Amino acid sequence: MLEEELHRLLAEAIAELTPISGQKELEAVRVRYLGRKGLLTQVLRNLGQAAAEDRPRLGKLANEVKEQLEARFVEKGAPLATTQTSDDPARPRTDLSLPGRRVPFGRLHPVTQIMDEVCSIFEMLGFAVAEGPDVELDFYNFEALNIPRHHPARDMHDTFYVNDRVLLRTHTSPMQIRAMEKQPPPLRIIAPGKVYRCDSDITHTPMFHQVEGFLVDRKVSFADLKGLLAVFCQKMFGSTTSLRFRPSFFPFTEPSAEVDIACVICRGAGCRVCKQTGWLEILGAGLIDPAVFRMVDYDPEEYSGFAFGLGIERIAMLRYGIDDIRLFYENDLRFLRQF
Amino acid sequence: MKFTLNWLKEYLDIDLSVEAIADRLTMLGLEVDSVTRLHEDIASIRVARIVTVQPHPNADRLTICEVEVGGETKRVVCGAPNARAGLLTAIALPGCTLPSGLEVREATLRGERSAGMLCSEKELGLSEEHGGIMELPESVMPGQPVTDALGLRDTVIEVDLTPNRPDCASVIGIAREMAGATGRQLRLPAVSSLPDLNAIPVPFAIEVQDTVGCPRYAARLLRNVKIGPSPRWVRNRLQAIGQRPINNVVDITNLVMMELGQPLHAFDFRKLANGRIVVRRAAAGESLTTLDGVARALDPEMLMICDAEKPVAVAGIMGGANSEVGSDTVDILLESACFDPVSVRRTARRLNLGTEASYRFERGVDPGGVVRALERAVQLMVEVAGAEVVAGGVDCLRAGLLEKPTISLRVSRTNELIGTTLTAEAIAACLAGIEIGSTRQGDDLLIVQPPSFRVDIEREVDLVEEVARLTGYNEIPSTLPTVPMSFPEQGAGRLLGKHAASVMTALGFSEVINYSFVNEQFFDRLGLAADDPARQVVRLLNPLTEEQAVMRTMLLPGILENVRHNIYQQNNDIRLFEIGKVFLPRSGDELPTEIRQLTAVLSGRRHPGAALFHEGSAEVDAFDVKGAVEAVLNELGFGAAVALQAEAVGPAYVAADTHTALVVAGATGAAAVRLGGFGKLAGEVLRAFGIKQDVYYINLDLDGLDSLPRAARQFSALPRYPAVQWDIALVVPEMVAAGEMLAAIRECREPLLEHAEIFDVYRGKPIEAGRKSVAFTLTYRSAEQTLDDETVETVHQRILNRLVTDFDGRLREAH
Repeated sequence: MLEEELHRLLAEAIAELTPISGQKELEAVRVRYLGRKGLLTQVLRNLGQAAAEDRPRLGKLANEVKEQLEARFVEKGAPLATTQTSDDPARPRTDLSLPGRRVPFGRLHPVTQIMDEVCSIFEMLGFAVAEGPDVELDFYNFEALNIPRHHPARDMHDTFYVNDRVLLRTHTSPMQIRAMEKQPPPLRIIAPGKVYRCDSDITHTPMFHQVEGFLVDRKVSFADLKGLLAVFCQKMFGSTTSLRFRPSFFPFTEPSAEVDIACVICRGAGCRVCKQTGWLEILGAGLIDPAVFRMVDYDPEEYSGFAFGLGIERIAMLRYGIDDIRLFYENDLRFLRQF
Repeated sequence: MKFTLNWLKEYLDIDLSVEAIADRLTMLGLEVDSVTRLHEDIASIRVARIVTVQPHPNADRLTICEVEVGGETKRVVCGAPNARAGLLTAIALPGCTLPSGLEVREATLRGERSAGMLCSEKELGLSEEHGGIMELPESVMPGQPVTDALGLRDTVIEVDLTPNRPDCASVIGIAREMAGATGRQLRLPAVSSLPDLNAIPVPFAIEVQDTVGCPRYAARLLRNVKIGPSPRWVRNRLQAIGQRPINNVVDITNLVMMELGQPLHAFDFRKLANGRIVVRRAAAGESLTTLDGVARALDPEMLMICDAEKPVAVAGIMGGANSEVGSDTVDILLESACFDPVSVRRTARRLNLGTEASYRFERGVDPGGVVRALERAVQLMVEVAGAEVVAGGVDCLRAGLLEKPTISLRVSRTNELIGTTLTAEAIAACLAGIEIGSTRQGDDLLIVQPPSFRVDIEREVDLVEEVARLTGYNEIPSTLPTVPMSFPEQGAGRLLGKHAASVMTALGFSEVINYSFVNEQFFDRLGLAADDPARQVVRLLNPLTEEQAVMRTMLLPGILENVRHNIYQQNNDIRLFEIGKVFLPRSGDELPTEIRQLTAVLSGRRHPGAALFHEGSAEVDAFDVKGAVEAVLNELGFGAAVALQAEAVGPAYVAADTHTALVVAGATGAAAVRLGGFGKLAGEVLRAFGIKQDVYYINLDLDGLDSLPRAARQFSALPRYPAVQWDIALVVPEMVAAGEMLAAIRECREPLLEHAEIFDVYRGKPIEAGRKSVAFTLTYRSAEQTLDDETVETVHQRILNRLVTDFDGRLREAH
């Protein structure tokens, strides 16, 4: 019986629909059949009284009828939803120009973001991430890195001391020694972390972040160092970034190099940020000095390796155009939310 | 290290632009810090010759000068007392701007026209001399720019030297590098052949008692020196590189140091007791007033230059006032020596006195260049100070000092390390370019004799670096290392931290990073007891300020400073977190324990940034912070392992009745472990930090968490049968904790009970005072069938009975 009713409903609706052309008439017919109190709903209300074994079949039929009718109305150009339309300008409506309901997302600190980015590039190249202590022995920070107590290279590090033999690490390079002490070559390690120097002004904070990387194996050359750092700089700063290597000095590498990238601000033309040179210093690097290998009982005749280190804040400043390093440690939400 | 372009060109024919020179130097590892063109601000000042001088009709102090400037005659009013006919001086013509910013114009001074201005040295920024107009030597031409006439047109180049290259702390050293890079010949300053100093007896004596501290000491005596200002070329050079000219003798010592890299010192010979120099360590109790006027206490580790009685100079660092060369000096003892780098450095550190001399000695001067520098200075003193040279001298040289072992350089090893295919010839040639000689031995070997001025070259690898450097780093090919594949192990602690950070940001918290060192007063502000373990700190010996004097033992103080900062910036809705290490001292020689923690704070509106009409302006409360903790623990996989235990009394900085501890049950027999807590900060603590609104905090020991077994994720099959939900509303005494009721429901362990949750807590009519209604929704489901009412009823009643019994409850009537 219900089945017949459904079929009849469909036939009647189609008959009624066919001659209609006006939007308004169409809507009236649609409401009469498909509206919330429409004929179809009335029929369906009786579904509960049908025998249990018929219910699935009837339900399916009812759905088909509904879909067919809806399709007819769409063909005729009726809107899909059942919202009433009215020409009344005073009718309440949803003002979609109001802002969306915002979920408050937090942000990672820009230093963390850059550090993660640097680490992940090297992780993709097969480097393991290792971390070491911030409060470090003079031995790991200096002595084992070929910087004896009265070496002028100590002038390059304004060191915070805890006592005669304990200090706050001035670079992440001590991880070279700690890692090599622990395992034999070959190794590929990237070591991110906080470092400390007694210095504070617009370009220096007493604490900042570095990432140290090193690779030791047989027959590792300076050319390999160049190739790897070129890959890194292109991933980090863009595939067209040009690079230049300059001789420099670090007691724990030889030959030593500073690596510059073409200024990201002026593209090499010369500007205030690159001091008119067109280049920005971005990395220190070099082949690991045999004296360092001897400290950890690696045979420098058998193995060679390279190490490099970079400052995270400097990269973040260049990337985002930040002109005062102290902003990183004020933790002003207006600053943190920009990244 | 500063030098000028003209100075460099004295030793090297070079026609490159200054930019090209700077670029070459930088690419040689001598990083150019700045290039400054000198005296550009007086480029338009010209030489003028005064033809006539007449008194000014209307002013006693002024004169009217007719001057000749390059074929033209000008009439200028002048106030200088030294204006006289025939004088060659400097004129600023109308349109010129002086270094002071004054623009010179044609003017009428007391009724007389003046077509320019005659200038003093001070007005041109050349010296402090302002007694009259400049007096130029006869050799200059009227009309010529003054900068050309005086040889002032020059460019200063400043190089940032690395500590391994003391040889380049000299103009000659820089020139040598440039010669090597450009293939030009280096021209050393002419010094007549070096004499054998010890051949002739001299009227003074040198005794080196400490040949470790002073491996070489040479000296000569100069008599009847005419002390006075240096000639202009000497002054120009020193001024150009930022040194103040003093007198001809001192200026020459400085000039030769800059030229050759060998520091020199001139003593007033008559002030040296017994005409004797003794090089020894200071005796206990000795002191010396150095040339800078500071009286310095000496210790027995310091190497001193003494006369027969007393110290007269700190070796390699600074002379003493008691033997200073001054206007009354007649005879000079000139010292050129070599001192032990470590000894000089230690003394300079202890005296907190760094000088151009100590800079060079600390890094190592050329032991082979000591006498050459002495002779060069002697020669210049004869030229500019009329000195008479006493024949002979003294050269105390430690045996073996000048014998430097040769180094074997393998061609194959060099190429292997650099990644090149250079031939032995090419390697030898590039070393020869900077005066490093070598001889070939067999196919693969060069026997290299490092020159004495390269104190940094001792090993094969030092030479490999030279080869790489001279080849040019950018000419070396670029390859990628070939390495065996391996899986990089990651530190678990770091991964947990990253995971925690991602959960926190998803919860709306922004990350902060604070300094690892803090102000010790923070502990007082937190109200910690005097014996609180958090007060056991790692202390810095040399903090920059008291604000950064001790290593933090908790992250909370730093983040509270951030809260205050943000509120001061009118940002009151705050969700911040930090993941960082705290530092706990250990006994004895051990490094402190470093523990990774997470601390978060929550304050202000619950929906920061959301429009009021969406969410209202409700403030965060205890359940926001609890929700965040639950989310973090659950997402990290520790929801089951860590229990939240409300405590009446928490840490000193937490408000009463608001603290919840994060507790992990210990293994059998072991005590429970606390991994942190959360709650509302006490009002007095917030006031101490200058915060005037409620702040909730979370603290979590990430390393502790990381040591727990983490719940492995396990799939449970999706149910096929429908669930039914039945509610219970129970009126219980006020003191009953809803959480405990929920726990009791779970403890019934009814297999059909899928889930239970609290959906309402109600106080007020019609419920009597002292009681409240707690309502639960219980979800039942069977994995085997659709549940019927009777089955659910049985289970539901059992649970209800338990609640009623355990919590003195009664079913709330529907009404």
